[in-house]
Order: sequence, then C-alpha cells, then structure tokens
Amino acid sequence: MQRFNFPVVQPDPALEDLRGELQAFLKEEREAGNFRPEPECWMASADPKFSKKMGKRGWIGLTWSNQYGGHDKSALERYIVTEETLRSGAPVAAHWIADRQHAPMLIAHGTEEQKLDILPRIAAGECYFAIGLSEPGAGSDLANVKTKAEKVPEGWKINGQKIWSSGAHICHYMVALLRTSPADGRNRHVGLSQIMIDLSLPGVTIKPIVDLSGDAHFNEVYFEDVIVPDDCLLGEEGGGWKQVTGELAMERSGPERFLSSYITLETALHQLNGKMGSDSHARLGKLIASLRTLKGMSWGIANLLDRGVSPETEAALVKDLANRLENDLTQQVRAMLNDLPSEDWSPDMRRIMNIGVLRSPPNTLRGGTTEVMRGITARQLGLR
Amino acid sequence: MINTEGMVAETATKIYTDLCAREVPHEAEAGRYPQALWDALTENGLPLAWVSEANGGFGADYDETFGAIWASAQAASPVPFAETLIANWMLDRAGLAPADGSASFALSGHTPSADIPFGMHADKIVLFDEAHHEISLFDNRVAVRSPEESLSPDGMTQFIFSGHLAEQSAKTDLSRRRIEALILTVRAVQMAAAMERALGLSIDYVTQREQFGRPLSKFQAIQQQLAVAASECAAATMAATQAASAIARHADDPEQAWHEAVIAKVQIGHSVEAVTVPFHQVHGAMGYTQEYDLHHYTRRLWAWRDALGNEHHWSKRLGEALAVTSPDQVWKGVTTGDWTGGQWIAS
Repeated sequence: MQRFNFPVVQPDPALEDLRGELQAFLKEEREAGNFRPEPECWMASADPKFSKKMGKRGWIGLTWSNQYGGHDKSALERYIVTEETLRSGAPVAAHWIADRQHAPMLIAHGTEEQKLDILPRIAAGECYFAIGLSEPGAGSDLANVKTKAEKVPEGWKINGQKIWSSGAHICHYMVALLRTSPADGRNRHVGLSQIMIDLSLPGVTIKPIVDLSGDAHFNEVYFEDVIVPDDCLLGEEGGGWKQVTGELAMERSGPERFLSSYITLETALHQLNGKMGSDSHARLGKLIASLRTLKGMSWGIANLLDRGVSPETEAALVKDLANRLENDLTQQVRAMLNDLPSEDWSPDMRRIMNIGVLRSPPNTLRGGTTEVMRGITARQLGLR
Repeated sequence: MINTEGMVAETATKIYTDLCAREVPHEAEAGRYPQALWDALTENGLPLAWVSEANGGFGADYDETFGAIWASAQAASPVPFAETLIANWMLDRAGLAPADGSASFALSGHTPSADIPFGMHADKIVLFDEAHHEISLFDNRVAVRSPEESLSPDGMTQFIFSGHLAEQSAKTDLSRRRIEALILTVRAVQMAAAMERALGLSIDYVTQREQFGRPLSKFQAIQQQLAVAASECAAATMAATQAASAIARHADDPEQAWHEAVIAKVQIGHSVEAVTVPFHQVHGAMGYTQEYDLHHYTRRLWAWRDALGNEHHWSKRLGEALAVTSPDQVWKGVTTGDWTGGQWIAS
C-alpha cells in the first residue's frame, strides 16, 4: 500500500515557454535596478509599482475568468509565475496574498458586483488583501478568536483586534475570521464566519509592528464599531472554520514554502563560480536533492488542487519538510561560502545572506507552526 | 506514487501476498529458504521483466516493474528478485541470454573482488567490467566466496573473481552511469517501500501498546516523532517515484535519468536515520528483538543506504556534477527534472 497521495506529473513544454518569458522580464527589471533581490520576498518585499508591472503583463489573476479581469489559465501556470518570482527575489508581496487566496475566495463566495468591482483590480496589481486570522489570544489556537461581528440592520458591526496582518498598511481589504455567534459548549469551531472588511472604513486603525530586522510589514489592526454591509460575509454564516482550514491547505504547499531562500543559494553559486571543496559538494548535492524532492511533492499537490482535490495532510507534510529545508538551506550556504574568503563576498551576497538569516524565524511559524503541522499529520496517521 | 497497476506489478503483488506472509522472512533467516516463493516468481516469468523479447523476456515497462519491486520490498523479500531483475537487464544489454535461475550483480572496481548482495543464494553472478566495457556471467560456485558480517538479512558476500572463467562474456554499450541510474533507482524504490511498511508497523504498535494507563499513540511526544518520520517517508516515496519515472521516460538511455536516480539515493539515504531512529524508539526494546518484524525492514534499510556507495558519497558526486553546470541549469533541473543541459565553463 501507499499511504500518501503525491502524483508525479511530467513537465509540460507549454508551461516552460511561460517560464522563459518570466525569466526575461525579471532579468531585465533586476538589471535596470528596479529591484534588489531578497529572500522571503513574497512576505516582506512589497512594491506596488512592481505589482502593477506584473499585472500589466498578465501575471496576476492567471486562474480566473477574463470576465473578471483574469486570464483563464490554470493553477499550474500560476505556479510557474510564483516559482520564477521567488527565485529572483522580486518584490511581489503587495499582490501575493490577494492573488493566492482572496481572489479564489471571492470567486467562490462573492457577489457578482464584488467580483466585477474587485477582481479586475487585483489582477491589475492595484488592489491588495491582508489575512485576518491571528489575534493576541489566538495564535496556534486559532479557534480562540474573540473579535466579534454583530448583526445590525445595516449589515455587520465589528469590534476587536487582529494581529500579525502582513502588509495591512498597504492593503485595501482584509478577510477576517470573526465570531458571529457564541461557541456551542466546548465546540468552538461553530459560530465563526469570514467577513471581508474595507480597511478604509471609519473605525479601522492600523499600527505597524517592527520586526527584529527593522522591517515593518506586520501590523495590528483594531476595529471599533466598524460597519460592513451584509454581502461582505463570505460563504456560510458559521462556516468560517471549515473554509479557513481548506484555505490553509492551499497556502501550505506552494513554492513559497521551500523556494523563499533559493536566492541565497543561487547567489552563492554565482559567487563560488564552481570553486568548491568536497564538503561543499556534499552540501550542495544534499540541498539540491531535497529541493528537487519537495518540488515534486508541491507540484503533485498543485495538480491535485487543480483537479479540485484538497489534500490537507499532504500539504501539512510538505510544509513541515519545507520549513526544515529552508532554514537548513541558509545554514548550508553559510558553510559552503567558507570556500571563499569573506572579503571576496560581493555586497549582494552579504546583504542577501544577512536578510536570509534575519528573516528565518517566521518560516516555522506562519501558516501554522511546525508543531501544529505535526499534529495534523498525527491525526491523519490515526494517532490522535 | 509508485505505479502498482499493470500485469507485472499486480502479479508480483499477488505472489508476495500469498507466499511471503510475515513468518516467511523469519523462516528464511532461520535457514528455510522460501523456494515456493522463488518458483512462483519464476513460473510467471517475473525475473525476465526487463529482458527484451528477442532474448526470451517480455520487455515490460520499467514503470510497472518498479511496482513489483515495491511489493517485494514491502514483504521484506528474502529472495533476490530485484537483484535478478537487474542482473538479467545487464545481460540483455550485452546481448546475452538471461541467467538460468536467480542472479545477483557487481560493478567491478580496481580489484577483482566485489561485495555481492544475496551472494550465498544467487545461482549466478553478473559482473560489469567498466574498463573493458564487458558484461560477464559467472556461476556462483566458481568464485571464491567469503560471507561477511552483513547489515542485511539478505547477506553480503565477498567474491574474488581472479583467475575464474566466466560462463559467458560480451561487450556492452552500457556505461557505468547507465547502470548506476538503474541500480540506484531500484534501491530507492526498495527503501521507500520498506520505510512505509516500517511506519505502518510503528503506528500499529503505538496504538496497541499501553503505558501509564493509555496507548502510546496518545502521547504528544510519540505523535510528533512519528509525524516527522511520516514526512520523511512521503518524501522518500516522491524521490523514488521521480527516479522511476525518469528511468521510464528515458528507457532508451537511462544515463539521462542519472541525476534523478542520484537525487533519490541522496534524499532517501539521508532519511534512513531520520526514520529508523524514531521507529525503534517508539517500539522500545520489543523492536530490537529478532522475534518482532521491525528489523526485517530497518536492517535492509541500513544495508540499502550503503549499497553502491552511501548517501555521503552520492551527495558529493551530485554536488561535483552540479558545481560545473551553470546556476541556470541547476534551477532548470530542480524545477523540471531536466538535467540534460551542457557543462558550464566557469569564467
């Protein structure tokens, strides 16, 4: 028997043409000095100007219909775009989250009016979304959310606070998980709903949180009697928990989980220029073997998602493996660079390595901690 | 996932289910060789799966034969099924008839001696002589044999071929890399299959065994260990499947599958420790006994990760090969599995 369902999917030449176009564009932008490559670029490097350029070329909104400003392509084409932008360390954080999860959510649950209004702006790289899950008292214990949405004649009245909302200061909307009715005894999964909130509404306050590297992409977002219309409830009232866990599965297995630090390795390969000792050969061989294997797993899941299957366990497995690899990659590259005197490192190498180290702690936290991922796997194995 | 559909895979799965139940590997180790199992495999022609029709085999797809190997490794096969498949494939690629009986193989190094798995049981030994581009078939009894202390229940025997006449010999177009690609892929499939079976044993054990008044499976420390091991098992199956699929895709020239095969060996070889440690840990002392089944898998895993060079050897070989290609080519390989680009002249 085989316990896990990871199909092996052969490369598709049509997708490789798209890859070539991306590579040419990204090379040109980088050489023109329009961005400086960074690890973890999908989280921490936001540049609305760059997002608009991506939008103009048709590389945002690939998966949805032309009627809503999309490009009628598959999730696999989107995968290629994300892979190449991660590899280049390009500033894609502004549009990343909206393109990845909120546009599909609107397509599934939004009104026709919302779709016609918002989706074309997302695809143009002009409209950004923040995730509204965590709260001060709800981290790994997500079901403990306290922020409330109360039914009022005009729609929903929201009070409370979200935290760790990446990019909220430049985002136009947040989709938040809110308590719309009390928990049913010990079952806290009931009574939660997802609501889309226009962040420009009165009563919304956004405060930056500076991280240890000096970046300020995290935010606290406060809601004080914020009123949103009825149709901002996405999906089923009380069905938020199920929607969120399905969404997380999608989020956990993408290329951003194991290619966010690839720029560090590639910069080092250029820097070392083939001059490596045998220790470094061994490190490189092991890293590439892990990367190739994870690509296979992540690509297999992308194909399942494209066919409408949502493999939650497989996604959790990929995230756990990928997080371990990402942190290990930076450490292995540090070791490989010993083959070169540090005064010979290019400024880019030094900068990228430092950013890579400073941005490493959230790898094993965001999107579900390592411990939570292992809990999901354990349940699937029949141990819980 | 390894393809377990198709006639070859399904026939092998049935034979192993019927004739290699859990007591069979135990009995084999106690000296009762499961002849009935071997006979059933032979009667169905399975050891000839990779022999061309012109040479009396049935030229089966690589793909579904890997499914048969998967089944054999999940049953802790005490007969040299995978070894005979490889040996016959080598003979076929030199235009020689398949071995009469079971067979094992070796790639010649600098000395005329070689370590051969199943050396005491295989009827024939097939040797690849890289320097002379030659494949030779020896009868097991003619070479000097000395069984070694072996990690694997299948045994490892040192053979000295010097001065012994081959029964048959012929030139071959096989390169060392072509043979390596196939052997490493076979070992990768076996390792992934054995890991998954050992994971199953561990899950069963911790859900049944009680301590402190509850099943071990209810302890978070146990859950987290097995979750990590499960992720390593899933990665192993993916790496093995990617290698198997590369071999199938490049059936005419397995050398094109070399990188994917080496990647599988490196990935899975490194995972062996990461899974056998928790598997034994959660089994307590019971897993260390001969009576229990776990060692049929863990000992084979320890032997297979060493076969044809361990994970450290292959990490280095892979790194050496990649260091002289361009970073663009490395990226292409990682993302598409196409490693066929040219060499990079470092500037």
